[in-house]
Parts: sequence; C-alpha cells; structure tokens
Amino acid sequence: MIGSHHGSTLATATRFEWPLIVISLLLAAIGVCIIYSATVPMGDVGMSLVLRQITWCSLGLILMAAFLLTDYRFLERWAVWFYLAVVVALVVVWSLGKVTAGSKRWIDLGLMQFQPSEFAKLAVVIILAKVYQDFAGKTKLHLRDLTKPFILAAIPVFLVFVQPDLGTGGVIALIAVSMTVFVGIERRALLVLGTVAACAVPVAWLAADRLLFTYQKRRLLTYLNPDYDPLGSGYHIMQSHIAIGSGGLLGKGYLQGTQNQLMFLPAKHTDFVFSILAEEWGFVGCATVLVLFSLLFLRGMAVAAMSRDSFGALAAFGCTTIIFWHVAINIGMVMGLLPVVGVPLSFLSYGGSSLLSSFLVIAILVNVSMRRFTF
Amino acid sequence: MSEALRRIVSGNSLKTRLWIASALMLVVVVILVARLWHLQMIRGSSLDEQSLTNRVRLIRLQSSRGRILDCAGRVLAENRPNFRFSVMPAELQDSYEVIRTCGPVLGLTPERMRVLIQQSKSIPKFLNYPIKKNVSLEQLVLVQSRLTGLKGVTLEARPYRRYNYGKTLCHVLGTMGEISRKELVRGSRVGYRPGDLIGKSGIEKEYETYLKGNDGWEQIEIDARGRQLAVRSRRPAEAGSDVILTVDALLQRYIEEIFVPRAGAVVAVDPDSGRVLAIVSKPDFDLNLFSPSISEVDWKDLNSDPLHPLENRAIRGLYSPASTFKIVAAAAALAEKIVTPKQAFECAGRFDLAGKSFRCWNQYGHGKVDLHRAIVESCDIYFYKLGLKMGADRMAKYASLFGLGMPSGLGLPQELPGLIPTSQWKRRNYGDYIKDGEMVAISIGQGSVVTTPIQLAMMTAALANDGKLLRPAIVSQIRSPEGGVVYDHAPVVRWDLPLDDDIMSFLHKSFLDVVDGAKGTGKRCRIPGITVHAKTGTSQVISFKQRPEDNASVPYHERSHALFVAYVKDRPKKIALVVVVEHGGGGGTSAAPIARKILAKYYGVPDPGDPEE
Repeated sequence: MIGSHHGSTLATATRFEWPLIVISLLLAAIGVCIIYSATVPMGDVGMSLVLRQITWCSLGLILMAAFLLTDYRFLERWAVWFYLAVVVALVVVWSLGKVTAGSKRWIDLGLMQFQPSEFAKLAVVIILAKVYQDFAGKTKLHLRDLTKPFILAAIPVFLVFVQPDLGTGGVIALIAVSMTVFVGIERRALLVLGTVAACAVPVAWLAADRLLFTYQKRRLLTYLNPDYDPLGSGYHIMQSHIAIGSGGLLGKGYLQGTQNQLMFLPAKHTDFVFSILAEEWGFVGCATVLVLFSLLFLRGMAVAAMSRDSFGALAAFGCTTIIFWHVAINIGMVMGLLPVVGVPLSFLSYGGSSLLSSFLVIAILVNVSMRRFTF
Repeated sequence: MSEALRRIVSGNSLKTRLWIASALMLVVVVILVARLWHLQMIRGSSLDEQSLTNRVRLIRLQSSRGRILDCAGRVLAENRPNFRFSVMPAELQDSYEVIRTCGPVLGLTPERMRVLIQQSKSIPKFLNYPIKKNVSLEQLVLVQSRLTGLKGVTLEARPYRRYNYGKTLCHVLGTMGEISRKELVRGSRVGYRPGDLIGKSGIEKEYETYLKGNDGWEQIEIDARGRQLAVRSRRPAEAGSDVILTVDALLQRYIEEIFVPRAGAVVAVDPDSGRVLAIVSKPDFDLNLFSPSISEVDWKDLNSDPLHPLENRAIRGLYSPASTFKIVAAAAALAEKIVTPKQAFECAGRFDLAGKSFRCWNQYGHGKVDLHRAIVESCDIYFYKLGLKMGADRMAKYASLFGLGMPSGLGLPQELPGLIPTSQWKRRNYGDYIKDGEMVAISIGQGSVVTTPIQLAMMTAALANDGKLLRPAIVSQIRSPEGGVVYDHAPVVRWDLPLDDDIMSFLHKSFLDVVDGAKGTGKRCRIPGITVHAKTGTSQVISFKQRPEDNASVPYHERSHALFVAYVKDRPKKIALVVVVEHGGGGGTSAAPIARKILAKYYGVPDPGDPEE
C-alpha cells in the first residue's frame, strides 16, 4: 500500500460504508412507524413510547458517530474491561432481582432503564474476537483451545438465563457457537463435542419429561416468559398467526390492522412488532424488510472479508450474527416456526438498550470497514 | 501459492468461510419468506376471515391488593368494592338510548352524559371509559335492570381502598391514585394498565410490589353482540401480601388526639429493636378522601393549606435540634476528652466573641457550671465554650455517629437527610471556613444544623440502649395470602457508638436530673414511679434583640419550635421518644407535657399533670 497520510484519509472518506448506515436508518424508521401504529390504541402513553424510541434512535446515531472517531482496535485493547463491566452489571441486575423477588432485566438509571443483557452480546463478540484472532484463517481449534472461550461465553449466558431471560441467553450462546464454528473446529474436537451434545440432549429431554409433570413444565415455561402465554394455551401465537395471515399481499393499510388496533396482539410494540408489519403492510412490506436485513447481512460479511486483520474480521462476523440471530429467532417465533421466547427484532422492536446495541453493531462494522487501509 | 490453494480446498480460508456463512444466512431468510408466503398468500384468506370474526378475548382478572395491619393485627387498610358505570366506545351503538334510560337513574343530566360520551371517544376505543364512579347500591340495582339490550355499556366492580382509621397514620400508610403516564411507561412489563390504581406515597408506594399480587387471566369467547359465551381457560389471580406494621394503632391514635398544637411531629421507637411504636405528623388528613379518588375541592384545600398537611414531618420536617443537640455535644466532649465532668466554666448570661454578644437563655447567668449542671439547666454559654474548643468537624463526626444529618433508613419514600455542617461542606458551598460565631450556633444545635424527628428519635434510642445506633423499622412482617412469611423484621445495628460505660452512666445521670432535678428544664415530664430521662430544646425561628416576655405576645410564625426527647430504659418495655411542637415556645413548657402523657399511656399509669411551681 503506497500513499501519504493524506491519501489514506481520502480513501477512508470515499470508502465510507454508506449502505450499512442507510439500511439501519431505514429499518429504524420503519420501526418507529410500526411502533406508532402499535401504540395508537394506548392513547397518550403510546405517543410517549414513540418519542422515547425516536430519542434512542438519535442517541444511537450520536454514539455511532462518536465511536467512529477512534480505531476499532481500541476494542481489542479494552475487550477484557468491557467484558468485566457487563458481567458486573449482570450480577447487579441478578442480585436486584433477588431482592425484589421477581424477574429483573434492567438497571434503573433514572432517565432510562439500562438492560445489560443487550450489551452482553457485544461483549461476548469482542472478547471472542480477541481470543480467536490468532486462530482465524490459520489453524483450527483444538479441544484445549476451546476451554477459555467456553468459560467466557458461559458466564454471561448463565447470568442472563437466571434473570430469567431465555431468549437473550439463547442468542448469546448461538453467537458464541457461530463464531467458534466460523473459526473452525479440528476434526477430533468436533467428534468429541458432537458426541457429548448428542448424548446430552436426549438425556436432558428425558429427564425433563420424566421428572416434571405437564403442569410443572407449563408453569416453568410461563415463568420463563410470563408475557407471552399467561394461560399456556397458545392464545398469543394464534392471534399473531391471524394478524400475519390476514395481511395478505398488500396488507390492510397503515393504522388499519384490526388485530393491532383492537389489542388482540400481545407485547406488540416490543417482540411482536413484525406481526403488525405483516398485518398492515402485507407480504410486500415484510419482504422489503427481509430484503433490507439480507442486504445488511451481506454487507456485514463483505466488511469481514475486507478487514485488515483477523480481529476486525471476527468482530464484524460476530456483530453480523447478532443481528442475524435476532431476525431469525424473532420472525421465526412470531410466525410459529419457533417456540415463543422473548427476543426483540433488531432496529424495529421498541426498546432503548436493544436499539442502542444494534446501532453499536453497525458502528463496529462501519469502523472495521473504513479503517481497512490504515495501518 | 500452493499454501493458499490448500487453504481454499480445505475450507479454512476466511473468505471461503464467509461465503458459506452468507449462503446459510440467505437460506434462513428464504425459509422465513417461504413461511410468510404460506401464511399470507396460501392461508391468507381464511386467516383474514378469522380476524374479522375474532371473538376470543383475553380478560384480565385483577388481583386483590394486600391489606395493611398494625402490630396487633388491626386492619388499617383494606379493599371494598366500588361500582362504576362505563361505556366502551368501540361497541357503543345507540348513545341516545343510553342517555335516555340510564341518565336519570344515575343522576346525570342528558347534557352532561352527552359530553362524557363524547369525551369517551378520545380514548382508546376498546377501553371502558367511566361515566360515573361511585355508583350507589340503589342506583346499581336500577341501572342493572335497564342494561339488557344495550351494547357497549358496563357496570364494573372495582376494588378501592378503605382506611378504617381515617386520619390515623395517614402519612405512613400513604395514598393510592391512578397510575400516571410515566409510571405506566416504566411498569408496562409488570402488567399495569391505564386506569389502574397504584401506591403514590407511604407504605402503599414503597411496598407496591408486595401489596399488588399477580393478575390472573381468562380467555373467553364472545358472540357478535359482545356477550360472553364460554370460558376457554383461566388462571386465577393471586392476591397481594399483607403488610404488618410495627406501629400500635391505639397508641398512635391516642397521641394524635392529645397532640393539640397546630403542627409538629412525634416519633416513638423501641430502643432495643428500632421498631417504630408511633409516628405522628400534624396536621393530618383523612386518607379516605383519596379513595377511590380525591375531589378537586379537597385536593385544592389540602394543597393550598399553609401548614402543608400532606407533608410527613416525622421524616421530612427539618428542625434545628436546638438544645437536644447537647446530647451529641456532651458525648463528643467526653469521648474526645475536651472537658472532664468536673471542669467548670463561668456563665454570666452573655458571651462576647469578636464584637458580637451571644446570650444564654438565662439572662442573669448560671454562675460557675460543670457539664452535669450545664445539661440539667441547659446552659448555653457552657456549650459555646465547649464547641469552640472542639471545632465543627469533631462535632459533626459524633453527630453522624448518632445518625444525624443522614437518612435513617426507615424505608418510607422521600425521607430527607437534614444537614450537619462540616468544614468541607462549608468550603464546597461557600468557599469559606466555619467562623467562630457560626461554631457557637452549631454547638447548641442552631445555625445550619437541621435534623428530622426520626433522626432525633434514633439518637435518643442510641442513648437508651447504651450506645447502639439502630435502623428504624416500620414494617414488622409481610405475610402472603396463604399465611407464609415473606419478610420478617430483625433489628439492624448500624454501628456502635464509641462511648465507654463511664460516659454512658454520666449522660444517663444528667438526663435523669433534667426531669428529676430541682432546676431541671424537663420537670413537666415527671411521672411518679417511672424514671424518665430527657432533654429539652427550644429552637429559635428568628432572633430577638430582647427576649420576649411571654409566648402569646409573639406572632405564631415567629414563635420558637419546642422540642423534647425522652427515654425510659429500666423497664422491660423500653421507649425512646421525640416530640416536636412547631412554634410551641419552650420545649420544657409545651412539648414535655405531651411526652409525659404519652409515657403515662404507654406504661398504663394515670397522667400526673403538670407539677406545681
């Protein structure tokens, strides 16, 4: 690479990753529109939810801009501290939950409630990228190489599980697995892990089946997601089906969805936001959103491919999988392909912490992309 | 080159892996799109039909709120049903018919009804909009008979709070009110809905999560006319837990009755456990005014009252401790060995310092006074001199050890910390050091020293239990509806005071003589057969050039606050007590008799009345 300092900054400016920014802003804007529609039936409260979401969007943009000023390598240097901070925050949330005798997912900061589990995903991606950077593209992972990443991922996963937040805990586990598989596991280690998993799953399944009565299982599930299935009768997923199906090709029109406006849908501005999109904007609207997400995944992969070092590549890959798993699980869930677990749809669902962490994902991707020529 | 080729073939190159990952992601998206196509395009028309005839509704079964009881199990707050007449705009068809048939029965004019029904259209259209709250039983029967055939009209039974003792403990129990928008945005995940009642102050607010319980759900099928056909499944609501207080409602009510002055506070605690026995703030208000909802007139009256009846003075009233602060000063001086009990200072009735003259309350002077006499007769000059020798920071250290200037941790919302001045505080806020003139005021608990009655009560309790600062408790137990104990209070010792036995017994002797001594300032609290230890305090609201002849000649707002702290420690049933009478004049004159009556009641002896002069 030849070029003066001036040349490299010019390159940075011209190769700025506009597509990712445009896609994320489009998705966030669509999200605000749907949240508005979802909260119209709530009256005044609804409007203040929309205003909050817009505030968080702007906050996300500011955070993103600020993050772009420094080289992403600083994430590598600070990975351990970032990770520790998130673990401490999770422990605090857990102990607060113990005190108030209930599910507790956030820390109250006065102005907003900070949900550390949303940032746990980023922390895991960054710390794993740091650990795996010496392996990626060179050697595959042996069994002994896997101990450290396993522990690093297991701690936050466990802390999120006990909140209890089954969905987010699962997403963090999936992200860790994705990154590990991406780096590549050596054949013998793969064999061992495969055998262990193949044995553990039926054992756990049988144990749960034998030891728990049906009502206990239902109670456990209700306990894990109290918002979605208060009666254990599939009411909400049925209503979500009706909402999506009745949208048809073009949808019932903005603010016209009966499932939405008559409040048949549960948690509709948070986890079931896609059902409203489907009801009011139809197949065309949903497909558009899915295309936008696909473009985001492809750009994310392209950034990983172009990265100047393997830390950047791994961080970009991990960040993309964060969004990917959210999209896959959330949309699979509202369409009845997956069990109902509380996972928000990135950029679209109402929620400050989720939105901020999604914008941070984009910020990391853009940062990796724009610094690929600077050494 | 061959190395790179080998990597690509073995699939270990980053680029290859990224290609595979991208492909897998797109496969997942394609699966999602396929499912979407299946739901929307293939099953679309049948699901669309279902959405039009969707008659399955999820109905919330509201949990019943836990009760609040006193230490003897007397019910202070419980639930009663309250009926309200509401319309649901989405289903209301013939509003004219509703106005014609229901209006006269409810006592509403047709114009008023029309306005209210019009207003109901501005809210979410599937929610019930209350047209008339507090429907009486007679009206209920009459309206019920006319409801058949009308759509979109309901009579809802909603529980409201009934406070059986009215004004008693009003500041502690606290009020309920409709959930605000801000609280709703916060609490939407825990199942609050617009129109729900939520604790707004006191125990009702602080223990909301325990009192509330868990809502149940019922899935019902309704027909095209909105009538219920069948219950598909249901989960019953779980009632909230009962909160049992440490307070004795009878003692509390007795104190509220004998506390005749306009404003003030009383706090009585058990010095061994920190349990609050009574906590009074005057003026008070009837809690039932707030339930089910407070009228505008009442709200305006309460809010515009210059004496602020809604304020809980026991934890939010800021008073200069005045001479009751000499407890701190004396303990600090002995512990820091600034004076010995024998050492005497001369009191000439006035004290000149840097051109200013500070008076003792006794303008003729006490003559030569030692510490014991200075406490018993409350000599100010002695403490001026002692304070100057000690300095503000050492004084502040002991004040903090006695729990002054920081929240007591009682566990009621919005407790105020008060203030104990330190040189750091002074520097930070005024960029200056504490001058001698200021130190003189501090040493008799005036100047910028402010404390709350609950802090003074815990300070007194720390003397009564020989040196343990306890955290006060107002909740004794929380019991689940099935009778299980969710929370049980155990005494919490915040810390031990660094005062040895000699100092303790000297202090006890001095505070005993405040009541029993011939010249004691607290002799109006004398009760035969009970050893009462006490300290009086008179906190000046403004400074007078000349000491006024009598209290009555001074306007109400310029009169001094009267303070009195007392404790009884040699009985199995101990007590520590603080009485604050706003603008009551001298602590020994107006606050001590109240304390005497309380102690007499507490120990079940007749009130001996004021001793003869």
